[in-house]
Amino acid sequence: MEPKIGVYICHCGSNIAGTVDVKAVTEFAKTLPAVTIAREYTYMCSDPGQDLIRQDIKELGLNRIVVASCSPLMHERTYRRVCQESGLNPYLFEMANIREHCSWVTEDKEAATEKAKALVSAAVRRVYYQEPLETKEVPVNPNTLVVGGGVAGIQAALEIADSKHKVYLVEKEPSVGGHMIQLDKTFPTLDCSACILTPKMSLVGAHPYIELMSYSEVTDVEGYVGNFKAKITKKARYVDVDKCTGCGECSDVCPVTVPNEFDLGLGSRKAIYRPFPQAVPNAFTIDKKGLPPCRVACPAGVNAQGYVALISQGKFKEALEVLRRTMPFAGVCGRVCNHPCESDCERGKVDEPVSIRSLKRFMADYELNVGREKATPVERTKEDKVAVIGSGPAGLACAYDLIREGYPVTVFETAPKAGGLMRYGIPEYRLPDKVLDNEISYLEELGVEIKTNSPVKKFEDVFNQGYQAIFLATGARVSQKMGIPNEDAQGVLHALDFLNKVNSGKKVSLGGRVAVIGGGNAAIDAARVAKRLGAKEVSIIYRRSRAEMPAGSEEINEAEKEGIKLNILAAPVEVIVKGDKVAGIKCIKMELGEPDESGRRRPVPVKDSEFEMNVDNVIFAVGQGVDKEALPKGLEYTGWGTVVVDPTTLQTNIEGVFAGGDVVSGPSDVIAAVASGKEAAISIDRHLRGVDLKEGRPIPMERVKDIPKEGVKAKLRQDMPTLDVSKRGGFAEVELGFDEKAAVEEAKRCLNCGVCSECMECVKACQVEAINQDMEEETIEVEVGNIIVATGYDAFDPTPLYQYGYGRLDNVLTALEFERMINASGPTAGEVLLKDGSHPKTVGIIHCVGSRDENYHEYCSQVCCMYSMKLSHLIREHVPGSQIYEFYIDLRCVGKAFEEFYNRVLEEGTIFVRGRPGEVTDIAETPEEEGKLIIVGEDTLIGRQRRVPVDMVVLSTALQPREDAGEVAHLLSISRSADGFFLEKHPKLDPVATMSDGIFVVGCCQSPKDIPNSVAQASAAAARALAAISAGSIEIEAATAEIDEDLCSGCKTCSDLCPFNAISFDEEKMVSRINETLCKGCGVCVAACPSGAIKGKHFTAEELLAEIEGALV
Amino acid sequence: MAETMVKAPADVSFINEVCSIPGGEAINSCIQCGVCTGSCPTANQWDYPPRRVIAMVRAGLRDEVLSSNSMWFCVSCYTCTVRCPRDIKPADIMHALEIIAIRSGKSTRQSNTPIMYQCFVDSARGNGRVYEFGMMLKLFLKTNPFAALKLAPVGMGLFFHKRLPLKPSRIKDMSGLKAILNKARELGGAK
Repeated sequence: MEPKIGVYICHCGSNIAGTVDVKAVTEFAKTLPAVTIAREYTYMCSDPGQDLIRQDIKELGLNRIVVASCSPLMHERTYRRVCQESGLNPYLFEMANIREHCSWVTEDKEAATEKAKALVSAAVRRVYYQEPLETKEVPVNPNTLVVGGGVAGIQAALEIADSKHKVYLVEKEPSVGGHMIQLDKTFPTLDCSACILTPKMSLVGAHPYIELMSYSEVTDVEGYVGNFKAKITKKARYVDVDKCTGCGECSDVCPVTVPNEFDLGLGSRKAIYRPFPQAVPNAFTIDKKGLPPCRVACPAGVNAQGYVALISQGKFKEALEVLRRTMPFAGVCGRVCNHPCESDCERGKVDEPVSIRSLKRFMADYELNVGREKATPVERTKEDKVAVIGSGPAGLACAYDLIREGYPVTVFETAPKAGGLMRYGIPEYRLPDKVLDNEISYLEELGVEIKTNSPVKKFEDVFNQGYQAIFLATGARVSQKMGIPNEDAQGVLHALDFLNKVNSGKKVSLGGRVAVIGGGNAAIDAARVAKRLGAKEVSIIYRRSRAEMPAGSEEINEAEKEGIKLNILAAPVEVIVKGDKVAGIKCIKMELGEPDESGRRRPVPVKDSEFEMNVDNVIFAVGQGVDKEALPKGLEYTGWGTVVVDPTTLQTNIEGVFAGGDVVSGPSDVIAAVASGKEAAISIDRHLRGVDLKEGRPIPMERVKDIPKEGVKAKLRQDMPTLDVSKRGGFAEVELGFDEKAAVEEAKRCLNCGVCSECMECVKACQVEAINQDMEEETIEVEVGNIIVATGYDAFDPTPLYQYGYGRLDNVLTALEFERMINASGPTAGEVLLKDGSHPKTVGIIHCVGSRDENYHEYCSQVCCMYSMKLSHLIREHVPGSQIYEFYIDLRCVGKAFEEFYNRVLEEGTIFVRGRPGEVTDIAETPEEEGKLIIVGEDTLIGRQRRVPVDMVVLSTALQPREDAGEVAHLLSISRSADGFFLEKHPKLDPVATMSDGIFVVGCCQSPKDIPNSVAQASAAAARALAAISAGSIEIEAATAEIDEDLCSGCKTCSDLCPFNAISFDEEKMVSRINETLCKGCGVCVAACPSGAIKGKHFTAEELLAEIEGALV
Repeated sequence: MAETMVKAPADVSFINEVCSIPGGEAINSCIQCGVCTGSCPTANQWDYPPRRVIAMVRAGLRDEVLSSNSMWFCVSCYTCTVRCPRDIKPADIMHALEIIAIRSGKSTRQSNTPIMYQCFVDSARGNGRVYEFGMMLKLFLKTNPFAALKLAPVGMGLFFHKRLPLKPSRIKDMSGLKAILNKARELGGAK
């Protein structure tokens, strides 16, 4: 059918006709091709205007309509309806915007008229090619998703749920309530905020049509109006909300206290907490920030934060239990560990690291003192027997883990007593036998069988005895030689043999002068033992400088105190003998050269600097190696003489034989050996169960970062009491250990980096077994028809306004902090208190902090005037006789009963000073100002500067968009206005909808507003959602994309790009297909298709080219 | 001091003149919050503090503003400019008012600052750089010659440390500077 076009030019009163010569445009339109009629009219959108079109369609047989008027956002629907009613397909209508795009943006009448002609011409040429399209209806899912559980979200959820439609209410905090539940009273009625909100909160918690998901976040949204799919991630709360009764016993036993976010850090809470007593759901949450650095630094992964936290509470027995969950050597490691945990301790960044090692020792000493109950043997749940060869720290740690897994374990030891180097290498004054004995007997009580005097010659012997796996941990005990002359002379000793003999109670005779060669712990031990055995002069000869000595610095210090001389930067070149006996040692001086591969500077001999020392004995402590001869045959060795193993699994070249500790690593330390024993236990367990040894190993251990340290007052570590040097003749222990008081004080220095210390006390305390420390976050998917966004606001942080002193001067608070302080359930139980505990006599409230300020937020936050005056009233109520000053720029009291409230506060005597203060200072200029905060500013109504001394300053801070508003906007495909708040569809006529159909924005996420407005918006959005639900179906855009299958090459470019997942691929025909229900007509695929196979309906190339041509003619 | 009622309609030419100076148009967005006055270290010396100066410009009180001592007390600390919530640069506006005051011959007699500015500019124009000795001599002659005695010890100290040469030193290319200043004058500045 030949197109017959009708063109209608609207005057819009004088809106268009005032600038555009509508008559000229109408005459011009008449000249355009296929135009049957062109008319002008004052208001085309009025009924008579619409009738003009109807009539013309009927009488003139028009089949295309163009209206040149306002924006299609306003009236496209109106005119489409007119067409439809007259029997014309609504897609045969086109609108030219000659108001917003033309008359409103210029005062130049001629230019406006020319542009109007161009726009009309474009529309006429376009409409010529337009085709009739059929709209589709899709069903609306009756469920609704409400994001955010503040007062707006609660209101929206209740409105919808009350109509018996399902609501998913998602709140990211552990409880609903939002900012409103933090407030004390509400303006202007002074209703108690909690009193009016908690009934609604408990209703959302209990409502049969509301599924409340607290501590959860929406992580993905797809679909379209009526048919959204949302992914919701439930964060790991470690408490089963359904089981938790909210009794609070867990919180009572929790040893970790941190600042409470709900009270903005003014109060404190436990690591397992409920933000406030009326929380909904009434369930606790465990705050796990991650693994503390001490735990990550420990090779064996000992949970130091856990036992330190319990020691701080005086729970010493429980603390030891925490340690024993990982390893059995509290007493040993508490004395000899090289404590990598302390090196990484965050407290060290404040002052000094926590004395973690000494606290560990304290737990063991405490147990020895009070006596230990015999350990209950572990039940044997496994059949396969395991043999451990060697009873040093590696072997015993492995045995400990395996026995607790239920395996029968036997330890074979060559020596007469178990303990390895812990017993035979470390002298009694550092590690008393009774400590080690206690820890070994604990293992035996658990069921570990230890066979001493039982060397193993062949692995077959062990396997033949019925053992299914072997852990080889025999250590590295052969002293290495230096290769200098006379090294085997009489009177030359090797440190480990020497210490072994002494520790075994054998007699060793020494001369009066002893030289010890080496700088490790063995050297220091040997020197201090020699001194104790009666040597008069003991010196340590070490080739590098003191800083490079591998021995623990505490040990070196103690040795010096005991009179041992350090002869550093010297190396022996020859043992001087008289006959075959040692008479002295010849050394050469060294200096430090370039760093070597270990990063330490390489010692280089100084030419002609040899010197001699007269000594009776030389003790070499220059390293140990593995004694291959003593080991069973068949093992593979490295060039260093250590056993070859897989570094992850510790598997040797022999099936079923694992090795660890010094026999693999060479000489190392106790905690490294324990770590290796534990790894071996994992491997052996997997080996015996027939599970892959490597999967998931090594387990990544990432430490928690950014540990808050504000407000931590410096407090140095407790001193470790030591035995007086004069009393150190024998082998009595030198370090005496903390007493209970010192231990508790020391433990309290811990910063609780991980927050939850995983001490498991809460698990023990919970009678309903609601706590699951291994809970993981979980993501669920819900299908909904509408989404209501009520994510609220963030309070502005006034720290950048340096001149107001927040965070710098005491007693400068934000309004929200003050709300918590004045709240009866707040940190001060409602008392308005200064830092010194007294009540303020004068308070200054500064308005517009962060608002109405181009440097921060240009907008007015709308509620600050009113809440400031409310605070004024409350302060007066709480501190009778106090004087309040309000510093304002303009007072905005626009709302029901707001002006009356202003009058009330004026009558109460609050002094209003008009002017934005320049600064708040504590520098007094007069005696009256001493000790006060002085607000300096202009009283603009008298035109003079004023200094107002006050006791407390409250900053009425702005409301600003949530920190993650950008991400949320992206997630939901909604826009934000320039101020960062979510953008409504129309600021006046559609204030709760967004440009994304089916998504609504309510409350402060849309703009700052007070509670009544938030609630009103929430109800409005609920009504909008319910309207769609009750209609049951919704019309969707007919302007979708269409694929010409003959042209499609099947490249799939389109399907990857489609933001609505509307394109699928037909594997049979090898072409892409568009699901018209899902397609939103965005056109991405049309532009991307390399073969031009996709057509955007209502936006065809023909239509667009004609439109452009029309505009240019 | 009793202030008289402002009867005539606002003198729009004054506000237009201030607005025509770069940065001056910002006074239209002033919300009279007073943070400039509240932050000003010298405002208690001003006839009218900075916020009020802006209000008076907007009220068209040309003579009162230009003959006041206010802007001459601005010490260019820029605290007002840093703190202004409307992105106005009050210090720059005060300097703009000084220029208008000098041009219209209304600058205050209460302060020597206008004369000092003029001596400074004359000296810089004549030598291409400031000749301190000559400039100070001229300033004292124009204001109070006896005041020079008070500063004599300082002058001697500077002289003996070779920091106060008695002869002016000129820049090399005086004609080039003149050309620049002439061009600037042509464009409406540097009067």
